[in-house]
Amino acid sequence: MNLFGLMETSGSAMEAERMRAEVVAANMANAETTRTASGGPYRRQEVVFAADGPDPGFLDSMAAAGSAQAGAGAPAAFPPLTLPATGAAAAGVHIAQVVEDPSPPLKRYDPGHPDAGPDGYVSYPDINPIAEMVDLMGATRAYGLNGSAVQAEKGMIGSALEIAKS
Amino acid sequence: MEIATRLSEEVARYLDLAAAEAKLTAANMANVDTPGYKAVGMDFEAEMKEAMADVNAGNAAGPVRVRRVDGLISRPDGNDVSMDRESLNLAEAQLRFKTGVALLKQEYQRVMDAIHSDK
Repeated sequence: MNLFGLMETSGSAMEAERMRAEVVAANMANAETTRTASGGPYRRQEVVFAADGPDPGFLDSMAAAGSAQAGAGAPAAFPPLTLPATGAAAAGVHIAQVVEDPSPPLKRYDPGHPDAGPDGYVSYPDINPIAEMVDLMGATRAYGLNGSAVQAEKGMIGSALEIAKS
Repeated sequence: MEIATRLSEEVARYLDLAAAEAKLTAANMANVDTPGYKAVGMDFEAEMKEAMADVNAGNAAGPVRVRRVDGLISRPDGNDVSMDRESLNLAEAQLRFKTGVALLKQEYQRVMDAIHSDK
């Protein structure tokens, strides 16, 4: 059992949650942005989390290495292992994609604005600051949760090192 | 001659299981916001019983059986990780681990005392 693997799991979550907080911050910063590189107003972004697959076991890595070495056509040196469905836990989490909110932009009448259309309306991003703040709170809490998990894991590794001291 | 005693062998298995429990908890914690993720866990007592039987028979440690946790309430996105359950489980795994380390340290100290008993 690798104790450092634990920290990687929690670390992946901290990275993903920080990314989520960054996206929320970008949304709030661009709440009034009417001009973007792709044209039109800024569109609200949202992250999608996905669980990592279970850690590949040693034998699976051997099988992959064996079949890579054998080359095309030749049978694999080690047959790949089929793990039972309840085999292992996820190795962590990652951000599968960052999606754009498809909801239409808000129209506000402001004929003096440089980005106003011929009808005098300006398209603003549909960003609700309260929803963004709630999302940010969730990200902060989850970040803290995984941070305390790292703290706990550090404690475990530290105490394991104690065995060596007499 | 054997330096590793039966107790140290047993405590090593116990530490492995405590680490496995912490790993499952960490995986659940990492996926606290993943849509559709279901919390996983293990039956510590059953695994420990099996590990003791393995030590008796002289077998190597087998894989830990991971299973879904029943009785949790799913959120609308299909995720059923409970933050307080996971925090509690991590604290428990940590305490188990520290208990095991203390036991193992004492056991090795005992062996050490036997080595130095002529002084």
